[in-house]
Order: sequence, then structure tokens, then C-alpha cells
Amino acid sequence: MVRFKNRYVLCEVLSEDPRCRQCIEDRAVGLAVRDAIARAHGDYGLGCCCVSFTVKYLNAYTGTVLLRCRKDFQRLLSSALPLVRHLEGRGQRFPCALRTLHVGGTIRTCQKFLIQYNRRQLLLLLQNCTNEGEFLQPCSSARGAAAQLLLSFGRGEAQCAAGGAELLPHRRAGTERGGGGGRWHRDRLSSTCSPVFRICIIKMIPSIVLC
Amino acid sequence: MERTELPAAAYERRVLVSAAQHYYLRVRLELPDGAARPGAPQLKQLVVAALRELHGEVGAALPVDVLAYEEKTLCAILRVISSGLVKLWSALTLQGFYQNRRCAFRVLQTSPFLLALAGNSRELALD
Repeated sequence: MVRFKNRYVLCEVLSEDPRCRQCIEDRAVGLAVRDAIARAHGDYGLGCCCVSFTVKYLNAYTGTVLLRCRKDFQRLLSSALPLVRHLEGRGQRFPCALRTLHVGGTIRTCQKFLIQYNRRQLLLLLQNCTNEGEFLQPCSSARGAAAQLLLSFGRGEAQCAAGGAELLPHRRAGTERGGGGGRWHRDRLSSTCSPVFRICIIKMIPSIVLC
Repeated sequence: MERTELPAAAYERRVLVSAAQHYYLRVRLELPDGAARPGAPQLKQLVVAALRELHGEVGAALPVDVLAYEEKTLCAILRVISSGLVKLWSALTLQGFYQNRRCAFRVLQTSPFLLALAGNSRELALD
């Protein structure tokens, strides 16, 4: 069987500046990573890694980024990720860091990991919040915004879905294709997201809330 | 069918593949006439710059040494760690400019043993 094998690297953008979240875009992150690879591994590294390099998924609220590269050059990419120091967007430059959470062979394994990771993070955030008022307030950190996001979207689904990665009942059962509902356009999903992937993300949200 | 047992070996043969720590290259730099000839530090800087261009900071950090250099013939003996041979050779091949003038690196000999660079049958003059 001859096919191109890819590796998907799940990262988190960490930044002290809350304004950095605005410039987390797929193009900005992609350019920053490419520059880091070019500096660390030169023309050869740039050529190797950028054959199949894309930002597959990006969530500006939680700072989650999913990068794709060829399997043979995943080590080059992974070694260059700690060297990303700035994100540039709209003429502004913010210091940031990329933390690798998971490396998987398919988007599905990364999604499974992200579900569990977000569940754990949500528990931690809930423990840190002391009262209801603080919980619903828009926090300055990206994590607080994530909790807010999950809760606001999850309240509707919590009554319908039965937990786990299940299809939402208002969509036709058995179909994997087709765009997500209108409400998801509010989410800052990357424009390169395919409809199939949007469904995966929609499946993720209720499973996190029903932990 | 009885299998006769082999007699115990009186000697032991070990074959090691790519076990050398360093690789030695004899290279010659070709420059156009009238170009400034680099000294030994300039040659090292050229080699490291070539590595940095092709292989980035990781390549530039490769331990490369200029063991011998003749300015008259522009011949040098370079030593590199074995895992970095491909990176060094490819960087030398693709280095095309020295001080904005065309140049070329010709690799004459390469060997994991320095002594092997002493004899070169290609330059043998047959009377």
C-alpha cells in the first residue's frame, strides 16, 4: 500500500498578552512556524516540512492549533516549534510560545486527545473559579473564555445529546458530510476546515460538557 | 540425517558498518582568476555559512574542522562527524558564491580514515 502518511501535531499557543488572541489566525501561525523551520533547519528543512504543511484546525479562544506535516519530517517540525517566539498579525507583534500537546497520525486521534485534555482543563478551571459570577464573566485568560464558550454552547446540547462523541440529534443520523449549523460560524474556526472536520468539532463540544 | 557440528571457530570476525566517528574530506575550492584567495579562517567561515544556508542553525552547529589548508592550491582537508557527512557535502555542493564571485567546491577524496587521504590514485603520474 503506498500512500502519503502524515503526522498531526496538536499545539497550544501560550501568551501573557491577552491581545495576542486576536492575531491567532491560521496564516499568522503558519508563517511563524515556517520562519522558525527556515531558521532552524535552513532551505532543506523548509523544503522538507512545507511540502504538506498546513494549519488544519485553529481555535483562537483556547489557542489550540493542529498542524500537519509529512511523517518523515515530523521531527524537524517538532524541533522547530519551541523556536516560535512571536506571532505577527495586522501589523502587531506579540510574544508567544507554542506548547506541543500531542502528536498523532490522524485527525481523529488528535481529536480524541483534545476531548480528554479539554475535559481535564475544564475541571481545573471549574475548581479555580470560586463563584458563579466569576465563572460567567469574560475572563482575561484564554482558558476562561474557553469555559465561557463551552458553557454557552453546551447548555443547548446538554439536554439533547446523550454524551460521548455522538451525532447531534437535530442533524440527520448517518450522514457525516454537510456543513455545521449557523451557530458555529461565531466560532473562529480556520477557513481551511473541511465540513467533515467541522462535524468533528461539533461532536467534541457536548462530550466535553457532559463529563 | 545427522548434522555434523561445526568445529569451534579459532578466530572471531567483527564487521562494523559506519562505525567511524569522523569523516575526512579533501576538497578544492575553484575560484575565477583574480579573485581574492581566502585564508584558513575565511574558508572555515565559508563552510559554516554554506551549512547555515542549507541546513539552518542545526547545520551550522555541526562540528566541522579544517585540518589542513594550502592557500596556493586552495586545497583543504575537512573533518566532520560521521552523521553530518551528507549535510556537509550537500552544503559544499550548493555553495556557489564567495564574496559575490562564482566559486565551486570540488570534493577530491573522502574517507573515514585520515591516512587514506594520503594516497590518491587519481593524481598518480604514470611515466
